Amino acid sequence: MAALLQLTEVRRDFGGVKAVDQVSFSIEAGGIFGLIGPNGAGKTTLVNLVTGYTPPQAGTIRLGDGSASAELGRQTPDAIARLGVARTFQTLRLYRNLTAFDNVLAGMHARRRHDTLRQIVPLPAFRHEAKARLATASRLLERVGLRPSEHGPRRAGTLSYGDQRRLEVARALAIEPRLLILDEPAAGMNPVEKDRVRDLIKQLNADGLTILLIDHDMRLVMGVCQQIAVLNFGRKIADGSPAAVSADPEVITAYLGRQAEKKGAHVPGAEAPLSLASPHATDSLAATEPGSRMLEVRDLEVTYGAIRAVRGVSFGIDEGEIVALIGANGAGKTTILNTLSGVLRPSSGTARFRNLDLATTSPDRIVREGLAQVPEGREVLARLSVRENLELGAWVRRDASAVRRELAALMERFPILGQRRDLPAGQLSGGEQQLLAIARGLLARPKLLLLDEPSLGLAPQMVDAVFDVIREIHKDGVTILLVEQNALRALEVADRAYVVETGRILLRGTGAELRQNPQVQKAYLGG
Amino acid sequence: MDFFIQLFTDPVTFYNSHELLLAQIGINAILAISLFVTFYSGQLTLANAGFMAVGAYTTVILNLYTPLPLPLDILAGTALAGAVGFLVGLPVLRLRGIFLAIATIGFVEALRLGVILNVPITGEGQGLKNPSADPLGGILPIIVSLPIIAYIVWRLTKTKLGHAWAAIREDELAASSNGINVPVYKMIAFVIGALLAGYAGALETHINFFVDPTEYSVTRAIQILTFAVAGGTTNVIGPIVGALFLTSLPEIIRQASAYRDVVNGVILILVIIFRPQGIVGGGGFALIRPRWWPASWRRRGRAASAH
Amino acid sequence: MTQQILNAIFIGSIYALFAVGYTLVFGVLDVLNLAHSAVFMLGAVITYSLVALHGFPFILAALVAVIACGFLGLLVEYVALRPLRRRGAPPISALISTIGLALIFVAIVEQATPGTLFSWLWQDGANSVRFPSGAVPNPTYHVAGLTLEGTKIGILVTSVVLMLVLGYVIKYTQVGRALRAVAENRRAATLLGINVDRIFSSTLFVSSALGGLAGLLFGLALSDISPYIGRDQVELKGLAVIVLGGMGSIPGAVLGGYLLGLIEVLAFVRFGSNVEAGVAFAALFLVLVIRPQGLFGARLRERL
Repeated sequence: MAALLQLTEVRRDFGGVKAVDQVSFSIEAGGIFGLIGPNGAGKTTLVNLVTGYTPPQAGTIRLGDGSASAELGRQTPDAIARLGVARTFQTLRLYRNLTAFDNVLAGMHARRRHDTLRQIVPLPAFRHEAKARLATASRLLERVGLRPSEHGPRRAGTLSYGDQRRLEVARALAIEPRLLILDEPAAGMNPVEKDRVRDLIKQLNADGLTILLIDHDMRLVMGVCQQIAVLNFGRKIADGSPAAVSADPEVITAYLGRQAEKKGAHVPGAEAPLSLASPHATDSLAATEPGSRMLEVRDLEVTYGAIRAVRGVSFGIDEGEIVALIGANGAGKTTILNTLSGVLRPSSGTARFRNLDLATTSPDRIVREGLAQVPEGREVLARLSVRENLELGAWVRRDASAVRRELAALMERFPILGQRRDLPAGQLSGGEQQLLAIARGLLARPKLLLLDEPSLGLAPQMVDAVFDVIREIHKDGVTILLVEQNALRALEVADRAYVVETGRILLRGTGAELRQNPQVQKAYLGG
Repeated sequence: MDFFIQLFTDPVTFYNSHELLLAQIGINAILAISLFVTFYSGQLTLANAGFMAVGAYTTVILNLYTPLPLPLDILAGTALAGAVGFLVGLPVLRLRGIFLAIATIGFVEALRLGVILNVPITGEGQGLKNPSADPLGGILPIIVSLPIIAYIVWRLTKTKLGHAWAAIREDELAASSNGINVPVYKMIAFVIGALLAGYAGALETHINFFVDPTEYSVTRAIQILTFAVAGGTTNVIGPIVGALFLTSLPEIIRQASAYRDVVNGVILILVIIFRPQGIVGGGGFALIRPRWWPASWRRRGRAASAH
Repeated sequence: MTQQILNAIFIGSIYALFAVGYTLVFGVLDVLNLAHSAVFMLGAVITYSLVALHGFPFILAALVAVIACGFLGLLVEYVALRPLRRRGAPPISALISTIGLALIFVAIVEQATPGTLFSWLWQDGANSVRFPSGAVPNPTYHVAGLTLEGTKIGILVTSVVLMLVLGYVIKYTQVGRALRAVAENRRAATLLGINVDRIFSSTLFVSSALGGLAGLLFGLALSDISPYIGRDQVELKGLAVIVLGGMGSIPGAVLGGYLLGLIEVLAFVRFGSNVEAGVAFAALFLVLVIRPQGLFGARLRERL
């Protein structure tokens, strides 16, 4: 079959970070091509390169075959769209204040003649075209499973989350694309909605459309794609059929993470499972647990607009424990942490830290009471120096001399930070920034430290260093709630862990139990 | 209250005593529509006062120094305003949000203080006498133009052009993924806004015997913004209602007319806080979240995750 | 010419003082506070009324006025900015709500005549007044052929000292670090336990106090106090200054203030007063178009 899209050694750096590094692959006309990889692997950057939002620094991106082919690398996004490449966005980008119809009509822009004069002189003969256009829009809405009469006149922002995702597909279809790029169409959806997305993708492909599907959800990608490429740290680490890719050890490592070298490679489920708690048992157990825990979360629900990100989560942490929340990207783990920090507010349920009601206390008070978060993506203050970042970590404290001593001690404990104390934090490498963020969190002298994805985007040896630090902190008496995608590493250090999937707690158990549980791998790889 | 009593009991006398008010409402409404067009495409520009000046001065100067009939003068003034709009738009439209607003403020004041006050033909700081003005006859073109302009702009929002503008306003990135050439459509809106403002400026000279450079300052531009925002910018009726309401307000509340700017200010604040969609436009009142809800980073959070 | 340079330095320090407050709010809150010029005007008006109507000594009156202006800044925050932030409104909305407040402030002063509601604040309507002679001590010195007025020296010293203090606080104290943290990333600052709303209130207080001080110094130096000094004399020039220096940059605003003072004086000397007025806006327009990050943007990359 002819290749519709051909990437050759495409490269793009962002300030020294190789977001996409020498990636080549080709997509055959009429197929569904899957692009997968852990968070931060460069998938969305690749989509932005193909659709013209980010210019590539090297390599070629060709659409079409032979004489009719076009180089996309130097074109603007709107020109690429007019060539027939349509896309959806990972973070929904609908025209929220326009109706669903108007969203689709805007999508038809490139296929529409200029009608300024006709509209100003609306003779009946000219009405015909407008009607035909509305009929087309209705057909497109139906095609993605929306009812034109019901959903069409509603403002896009008021539709349910799943319907918004579908509407975005309809808008992309409106430009009559040759290639449809779906960037995480199932992110944040529950399993039933995901099945509907899968059916839709299959249907669109059956109608003759070539599709490039980017998703974290392996079950979805494995289920529909004929060809798959896997990215990690900007490089393509594998490609081929779904079966071949899911058996590739490098892919499994990329997804589940690597254990410390000394213990050797290890895949969950390889050992015989120990006792397991079923999801139902989880609830009853939670109810009988003593109320004297350091952190107690019950039936927590968090919604963003139309998205129910966290659905009835209950768990607890005792003083002195390391507890891990693991699960694939988009499962709602970060949302849970932000709710505990007071940055987000739950729609129902309770969260108590000692005697503090986290649902109503202000974020600064929560930190002052001893619950600190080291946020995902580090969020170091890039323009402030390393030292200033650390000093701000102690913002809630009033004992200046003790802070100075601890600061000096931390600089010795993390010599790399000591050496770079006067450098802007933005100039540190990713791993150094992570150390800085953890050290900064410690300076608040927390009783409970929330760590959000401390290993995200780090090279393996840096991951080792970060986990060593986590162990040390724990030895010093800090209770830790760890959120990780790197499941194996997290389970290694955690006393207990909860597996989160689509806003719910799927499994719970001790770190050792879960490491041997095949269902954990399923939650990640969809096996 | 006298205002309304007279309006309903004696409309003829009312018209005779408020002709100039009607003309002013018409001019302000056209100006507010000119701002609406750019706003509709997602751009906040305050350049309208400058384009108005171009239209006004061109018309009067042509009228004074050439034998051309007045309609041609007005046409020339409008066209020149559009051309200036295009030239200003070329560098300025790359800017977004508040930076675009500030750059257009710079344009208005640089034009007024730097050009108008320094070119002898404009009468410099003294202004320009316009002996051929016809305050009563000038009202008719204004009253005829307003509904026509409103109709055209209303229809424009239904065209391919209008849909592209709405898409750009809602989300530029998504608009370009739909094949919309964002810079071109922004420029079209900007030039149409300039044409309308130039036309309003040209019409206004017809009811005043005097062209006063202080009329074309940023204060005027902000006033135009007030009309559009208070009225609402979801459809073309909003700016007209805003201009009508705020221009006639001091007449309606004569007792408080001394404090009309206080009333204007209060209205602006109340509208922007509780009815961001304006007086016209659907929906109820915006609710303010309780104190402990830290809403301030919703926008930043989204920007960060998009990155 | 030396005298002209001296004038440039001195008017430049008032621009700088005004612009520092303007840019501080933009840097930290990401909104343009267009009520800043009205607060500038009120700084002069309150001082004048305390001296002329209530018989305060000048220094005390100035102190009270500066603090009162700080509280007006809190009013701006609570009335015009915080409700919009709570709603997650676009930053453009804040532009409009602060214009609304500026309209109200100016109108209150402009309508105040003896016997009206605000006659305790102002009695001269739209007229321009000056401090009663003798109310402010003003010794004059003659050094090397230059005339140095005591008030002008006082103004220069006050503004330079205050800007240095502000710079020190922002650069070297914990509060300053928190301010920069909030300016850079509100979320991260919150997670560190910084009360972002309180930082915003303090920013408005300090910014408005500086604006009020700039206003009263302006009234003192140019002997021109009226409801319109903010709107006509500094609102847009202040905008030009902070654009010149790079929006949100405090050193940029200081340099921009002095630069604008210098440009204006030079334009006045060479081309006359008509050109002088337009120079600021031509510069504003050109800088935004050619270098949106400001003249010093490349070197002063830090925003505060």
